[in-house]
Amino acid sequence: MQCENTVALSVIIPISDRCDDLRKLYLQYVEVLAASNYSYELIFVLDGVDVEALEILKKLKSEFPHLEVITTNRKVGEATVLAIGFERAQGSTILTLAPYSQVEPAEICRMLQEFGEGEYDLVISRREPRIDSVFYRLQSWIFHRLTRMLTKLPYHDIGCRLRVMRREVTEEVRLYGDLHRFLPFMAYQRGFRVGEVPVRQSKTDKKRKVSHPGVCLKRMLDLLTLFFLFKFTKRPLRFFGLFGSGLFGGGGLIAVVTVLLQLLGHETPVGRPFLIMGVLLMVLGVQLFSIGLLGEIIVFTHARKSKDYAVSRILE
Amino acid sequence: MDKTWIVEEKPAITVAIPVFNEQDNVRLLYQKIRDVCESLQQSFEIVFVDDGSSDRTFDLLEDIHSQDTRLKAIRFRKNYGQTAAMAAGFEYACGEVVVSMDGDLQNDPADIPLLLEKMNEGFDIVCGWRKNRQDKFWSRRVPSIVANWLIGKVTGVQIRDNGCSLKAYRASVIKNVALYGEMHRFIPAMSTLAAARIAEIPVSHHPRRFGKSKYGIGRAWRVALDIATVKTLTGFASRPGLWFGILAMPAFALGLLTVFGAVTALFSNLPMSWSVLFTVGSLGMFLGVHLLSIGLVAELGMKTGDYLPKLDVRPTVTVLEAPGRVFYRQSEVDSGQHAV
Repeated sequence: MQCENTVALSVIIPISDRCDDLRKLYLQYVEVLAASNYSYELIFVLDGVDVEALEILKKLKSEFPHLEVITTNRKVGEATVLAIGFERAQGSTILTLAPYSQVEPAEICRMLQEFGEGEYDLVISRREPRIDSVFYRLQSWIFHRLTRMLTKLPYHDIGCRLRVMRREVTEEVRLYGDLHRFLPFMAYQRGFRVGEVPVRQSKTDKKRKVSHPGVCLKRMLDLLTLFFLFKFTKRPLRFFGLFGSGLFGGGGLIAVVTVLLQLLGHETPVGRPFLIMGVLLMVLGVQLFSIGLLGEIIVFTHARKSKDYAVSRILE
Repeated sequence: MDKTWIVEEKPAITVAIPVFNEQDNVRLLYQKIRDVCESLQQSFEIVFVDDGSSDRTFDLLEDIHSQDTRLKAIRFRKNYGQTAAMAAGFEYACGEVVVSMDGDLQNDPADIPLLLEKMNEGFDIVCGWRKNRQDKFWSRRVPSIVANWLIGKVTGVQIRDNGCSLKAYRASVIKNVALYGEMHRFIPAMSTLAAARIAEIPVSHHPRRFGKSKYGIGRAWRVALDIATVKTLTGFASRPGLWFGILAMPAFALGLLTVFGAVTALFSNLPMSWSVLFTVGSLGMFLGVHLLSIGLVAELGMKTGDYLPKLDVRPTVTVLEAPGRVFYRQSEVDSGQHAV
């Protein structure tokens, strides 16, 4: 038993929102992992004080002393919890799993195999085919379609928690809040090779209803944040300047036309509201533009040392 | 017999070249640069930055490196663009003088001695000017002329060819210039922040021999936005509040005037409707206040950031020691080791 102290694979299970019967899940996962021939460690990271879940984990821990349980003293979000898990992880390969049955357990093995071929630094999974209701599938399709459009990266299921990655990915990509869905995008930006593997969805993962409107709204805001951070982190004026000057130009055109019409004597009942709208659009344009300039100043003064590139090899 | 190269710790000259899918050009480029630099009788290094090429570029660089360690190469994990590649080149450069050039053989390495000569006259940055540019007239040269004129007018740094990659920099200056986004076009303007003395000389320019050009038209608006950024950063880096104040004043004044006009229109029987004037005027004033407050937040950002312009533009102080007096370094005085 030489390799008892070295861990090849770190399995991290962040528990943030929902979780199923953890004991049953644990046994399922362990069974699959044992078949994978990896020496592994298993870390549960509990987001905030969830007395119920903590009790179950404590019981599990007394039963299987090898697993590790981490809790935070307040709710910090799934991505932060994941980052805490990454920090504790010792393995050179890191596997993240959902705290509920999201995919068929047997698929975990296949993911590890796929990763083992060494073609990718991060492998994310895609539940395919989806067995959710038509509405849920449509909602998810729209969201991912938009994401693909804005980022030009071909990911179909960024909500699936089953991921395998090299340790370097977790060290270089900083996750926080609930940006865990953005992991593949951030890894891509750091120059890592990201692959997507279709997996079978678990029967219990079936979703009948569409998400709560609040959740949808939050997803859309996340998408906006992702788009902005992904494309414009170092050049905010490109983003704000484009929209700002567009609005300013449009507003100016409306204002000039309405004033001209009034001066020429073509007073119309809609003239006045149009003038006000035009002027408001101009103001909005200037606001956006100046926020862009402000962003540039902040980037210049606070991120001068941060690098735009990632180096893979140096010959010297 | 093979020549053996003695590599000094710090070379005098670094030639930095970003390359992206240039497998047909790298070897020839290396040979040309090497020949030119050897004729200079100074120690040098050549730094290639491979911007995530998908062809054999890096293999070739590795091959050359195994024969001549004066060639260094940096490989990016993926394609990050020319500015990032240049920034990496400057970052890893060890020479006192850094020469940057394109990797597509359009610049001629034979111009390097001319740049260095000009630099010795006391300049920090010497820019190449492609006097006889070998590119398409309407799609490449006309936009470039307009852009350069605009950059010169707005930033006050009158360079005829900002886009030419062939430039020589004093390392101490260029390492202080923040290079990000697509700022490589604006290095001369941005380096005024480091109080650089800038010169320009004509250089030759060849048409592309191998490979395809990786540029196209359709970036005019992005360049315009970049100019706005550069103006904000170079003109008012130390006092952004002033810049926004300058922008705010006309809006506020015009707004105030219009509101005043509206009030007079209310009490006289002019045909212009007063409520429209009042709306427009108050929005103008509102804009002024908005810009002023943005300026204040910008000041806050500047104050809390790591950029202190006063340190960067501090003039070099030379202390001339009087003969016969002995100066001690502070550490020697502290430790009491007076070696007189």
